[in-house]
Amino acid sequence: MAYSVPRKFPTTVVGSYPKIPPAMDLIKKRRAGEISEEEFRKLIKEPIREAVRDQIEAGIDIISDGEQSREDMVVYFAERVEGYRPGDWVRIFDNVYFRKPVIVGDLKWVRQMIVEDWVYATSISQGRPVKGIITGPYTMMEWSFDLRYGRREELIIELARIIRREVEELVKAGARYIQVDEPALSTRPWREEAELLKDALEVIFKGLGDVKRIVHICYGRLEKIIPYILEYPVDQFDLELKNSNFRLLPYLKEYGYDKELGFGVVDVHTLQVETVEEIKGYIDKLMKMDFIPPEKVYVDPDCGLKRLPREVAKAKMKNLAEAARIAREEW
Amino acid sequence: MKVWGMLLGGFPRSRRLRHVLRDVERGTAPYYVAEAEVDRFASQVIGAQLAAGFPVVVDGMADWHDIFRPFVDAWRNVTVDGLLRYFDNNFFYRIPVFTDEPDARSFVLSRRVYRFRDAADPAGVKVVMPGPVTFAYMSKNLSGLSTEELAERIAFLLREEARKALDAGASLIQVDEPFLADIDATPDHARLAVDLVNSIVDGFGDRAVLSLYYGVPEPGVYEVLLDVKARYLMLDVADAPARASSLLKDKGAGGHVLALGVVDARRIIDDDESRIIELVKGVAGGSEELVLTTSTWMDLIPYRYALRKTIILGRIVESVASSLGADVWSIWG
Ligand SMILES: [Zn+2]
Repeated sequence: MAYSVPRKFPTTVVGSYPKIPPAMDLIKKRRAGEISEEEFRKLIKEPIREAVRDQIEAGIDIISDGEQSREDMVVYFAERVEGYRPGDWVRIFDNVYFRKPVIVGDLKWVRQMIVEDWVYATSISQGRPVKGIITGPYTMMEWSFDLRYGRREELIIELARIIRREVEELVKAGARYIQVDEPALSTRPWREEAELLKDALEVIFKGLGDVKRIVHICYGRLEKIIPYILEYPVDQFDLELKNSNFRLLPYLKEYGYDKELGFGVVDVHTLQVETVEEIKGYIDKLMKMDFIPPEKVYVDPDCGLKRLPREVAKAKMKNLAEAARIAREEW
Repeated sequence: MKVWGMLLGGFPRSRRLRHVLRDVERGTAPYYVAEAEVDRFASQVIGAQLAAGFPVVVDGMADWHDIFRPFVDAWRNVTVDGLLRYFDNNFFYRIPVFTDEPDARSFVLSRRVYRFRDAADPAGVKVVMPGPVTFAYMSKNLSGLSTEELAERIAFLLREEARKALDAGASLIQVDEPFLADIDATPDHARLAVDLVNSIVDGFGDRAVLSLYYGVPEPGVYEVLLDVKARYLMLDVADAPARASSLLKDKGAGGHVLALGVVDARRIIDDDESRIIELVKGVAGGSEELVLTTSTWMDLIPYRYALRKTIILGRIVESVASSLGADVWSIWG
C-alpha cells in the first residue's frame, strides 16, 4: 500500500510510546527466563500493533514501533550484545537503584535486536514509513560501565561498529529512516565529547545508500557544541525544542543551519496537551525566522512519549499532526 | 615535598544498607536499625581509608540521599520538590525549594564528627558541605531573596556548620562547588563563590578545601577562584586530563596546595598508574605539598568498586611519591 509523505512539514515521532499491556509483563518474564526471546518477540507484537494504530489514528506520517520491547534504552541492547554482563546496582535517586550494565569482554554483535519489531510495525503501517531507532554509541558508552576497553575513543568506535551492523540489517529489511538516539551527549557539552561522537557516527552511517540519517539529541545546553555537531554526517537533527521554549533556534540560524530539522513542538514532561493553535504558532515562529524551508521541517514531539499516559500521548500527536496540516496550506 | 591521599566525598551504599534504609522508609523496621547500620557501614569505609594510608577520612555520608538533603532536612523554610539531573550524571537530586529565609533547626556536620571521630582515630575527620553558590543556583528560590542574597544566607548557615564541626574536632572542612566547574559558570559566579567561601572559612582557611568537580573550570572562572582563602584547591583531573593539565600549566595554583582528583570516581575500570604519574609530574612536580584524591564522590559506582578505588588511590599516592622523591604523609597533625 503506497503512502505519500507530505512534502512540507511531514509529521513523525521520536520513538518511544507508553507501554501498552502486556508489554511490561513480557519484558519482566523474558528477563526472568519465564519466556524465551522467541516467545517474547511473538507476544510483543500485540502492544506494537496498538502503538502503531494510535500513531496512524493521530495522523503521524513517519511512525515507530513504539519501542514496546524496550524498558530501558541502554539495558535493552546491553542484554543482547556479547561482551556485556548484567549490571551492578547504582543509585539513580534517593534510595532507588538500577543495574547499570557492565562491559567485561570484547563487544560483538550476535543477532538482530530491533529488526523484527521494525518489520512487524512496517507490515501494519498501511504504507507509512517506520523509523528504525537505535540507542547511540555515546549514550551506550556513558550509561554503561567499562571494564574492558579503558580508552573511550576505542570503546565508542566498538559500540558504533555494533550499531552499524544492526543498522545494516534494518536497511536490508527495507528501512529508509534511521535514527540514532543520543540523550547523553547534551549532558556533557564539550567540544571533545561532540567530536568523539562524530567519529562514531562516521562508522555508523558511512556509505549506507539511500537512507535518511537522523540523530536525536535531548534537551541540554547544545548551543555550546552546535558548531561541532553541525559537522556530523547526518541529514537531520531531531531536537527537543518546546521544553526550552525554542531557545536553541537563534543559535541554529546563527550557525547557518542547513540540515533537516526534527522540530520538537510538544513537551513530553507535562500532562497538559498543547493546542493545535499553540503548535501552529510554534511552526509559524520557526518559519518567520527564515532560515529553513518547510520541506526540511519534520514536526514531532520533543522526545519519546513513554512517560505520558497513553491518552495524553495520543492527544499530543493528534494536535501536532493537525497543526502541521494547517501549516502546510500556509507555508 | 610531602604527598598524601584522601577520598573526596561520599561512598555508595552497600546492599545491606540499601535494604535497611528501604525497610525503614517502608515502616517495616524501626529507625534505629538504620542508624546502627550507618554506624557499621561508616566504620567499614573508614577502615578502608585507614588501610589505604590516608591521614584524614570521611564517614562516607551513605545516609545522604544527595549532597543538599541533610541540610534541607535540618533547616527551616526549605523543603524538597521533584527530581533534576545532577550535572552530567545519570543521577537525579531533589530540588531544594526555599520558601523564605532559611534558618538552622539543628546542625548536620558536628554530630557526624562526634559520631565517627573515634572510629577514625588516628586519622583526622574531614567534613564536606555543598558550597553556597552551588546550593543556591541549583535550588528553586521562592524566598523573596535574590539568588545572591539566598547564597549569602546559606553561607551564613554553613559557616555555623563549619565552626561547630571544628569545635567537635574536625580536621578539614571541605566546601564543594561543582557548579563552578560547569561550562555555564561565569567569573561573576566565581567572584560570589570566593566571597562566600572566604566568609565560611574565615579564621581557619589553613584547614579548608574548595573542591571543583564534574568538569574543569573555564580559565576565566578559575582565575577568580584562585583568590579563595582555602589552603587546598581540588580539581577534577580524571574527567578531562588534557584540559585540566593545560589549565594548571597556564594558570598555576595561586599559592594553594593542589588536591588533584586523579582516580576516576565515576568509572570502575582500574586507573592507569603510569599515566597519572606522568600527569602529576607535569603539573605539580615542584610543589611543597600535594594531595591526591578521587575525581569526585564515589557514590555513583557500585560499592565494591568504591572499595577497590580507595585501595588504588592509596597505591597511587605511594608510587607518585616515590617517582617524585617525596615523602608519603599518613599521620594527621
Ligand atoms: Zn530525547
